[in-house]
Amino acid sequence: MSSYTVTSTVATAVGGTHPLAVHELAHACGAEIDWVVQLVEVGIVVVADTSASPDDWRFHSADLQCALEARRLERDFGVGLEAAALILDLQHEVRRLKAALHAQGLLRP
Amino acid sequence: MEFKDYYKALGIERTASEEEVRKAYRKLARKYHPDVSKEPDAQARMRDINEANDVLRDKEKRAAYDALADRVAQGYGADEGGRGNYQPPPGWDQGFEFHRGPSQGPADHAEFSEFFSSVFGKGEHRGAQNRQYRARGEDHHAAIEISIEDAIKGVEREIVLRSLEVDAKGQPAYVNRTLSVKIPAGVHPGQFIRLAGQGMPGHGGEAAGDLYLEVRMAPHKLYRVDGRDLYMTLPVTPTEAALGAQVHVPTPGGGVVEVTVPANARSGLKLRLKERGLPGKPPGHLYLLLDIALPPADSEAARQAYELLAKAAPFDPRRHLATSGV
Repeated sequence: MSSYTVTSTVATAVGGTHPLAVHELAHACGAEIDWVVQLVEVGIVVVADTSASPDDWRFHSADLQCALEARRLERDFGVGLEAAALILDLQHEVRRLKAALHAQGLLRP
Repeated sequence: MEFKDYYKALGIERTASEEEVRKAYRKLARKYHPDVSKEPDAQARMRDINEANDVLRDKEKRAAYDALADRVAQGYGADEGGRGNYQPPPGWDQGFEFHRGPSQGPADHAEFSEFFSSVFGKGEHRGAQNRQYRARGEDHHAAIEISIEDAIKGVEREIVLRSLEVDAKGQPAYVNRTLSVKIPAGVHPGQFIRLAGQGMPGHGGEAAGDLYLEVRMAPHKLYRVDGRDLYMTLPVTPTEAALGAQVHVPTPGGGVVEVTVPANARSGLKLRLKERGLPGKPPGHLYLLLDIALPPADSEAARQAYELLAKAAPFDPRRHLATSGV
């Protein structure tokens, strides 16, 4: 097996001045744009103006994380997006509480 | 490379039906999901379970894997030393082609084993090449762990990616690419770094996909992370806590700041250093959690000092328990 080095010059932090467009979020999840529209409808990802055209929506890292997790729940457990939204809310609450406990020195990582 | 028994990973027989594969995966995923599992190796087990599920729930991959397992059982591919090392025999996957449909979700193989990449990366790549349509390459996902200091200042890190390319003889061959990634300053846990064009190659001349790296924060000896906020335990003496003091505190961005500990401070008191946490919009704060550390009474002078203190400042910390008459 051979090896070589490539230096990447294009590395951007998703969010802020480099948000994802709807087609980019869909592509990152191996999904179609219609699927992202459903995520917005059930509130798994949040956009500033749901009445705006999907082409004008912008997504950040937290949206990408939620979308990827929803995709895996859908694929591996066969759950609908509304159930996935509830599971993700509970999952995020568990993670938030664990992070808070850890920050206070009350829980090992 | 170790041959992976995916059926064993899911605890099922080779004759298991699709429904049995699905049930076994879901049961184990609940047991080892890192958010709820108490098992010490939950993260590694979950990775193995995910990898096994990715192969066995897919008819094409499962058929190819079964054919490979048969060849291994016949003695092909096993190393002579019997150390469990494994190389797929040449041409083992002829006739199989792996497709990634829209229902299969993100191509997140970066967390899977070398065995998976060796066996299935090739088939997926060839499948992509043989397809008669034009489409942008798939995006890939991986995680990268960095220190708090690197998150604040930015850092250049090297990651190794494995891909199939055509060599000088026109033969497909695996190539390890070492990618130098400049992680920008100000990233936080859960943020994604996007590397344009470093995902799967495109089909029919279309552009390659992107690589997304999810940022994870390495444990730190001083600071703990909660979002963009940082927490640090600040030990103080009883004298400093009682009388108040100016103490020096290291900040994660470098340097030292002077902090005022207020008089009559209690253990657990939280002091906030505004915008001294991880950068961002808005920036996080650095919280100091006071921890009153007792000087040891390990000398006659120290013992006398404690006794003098008890006489000079009579204090019953158990007053609220109302046990004085017992």
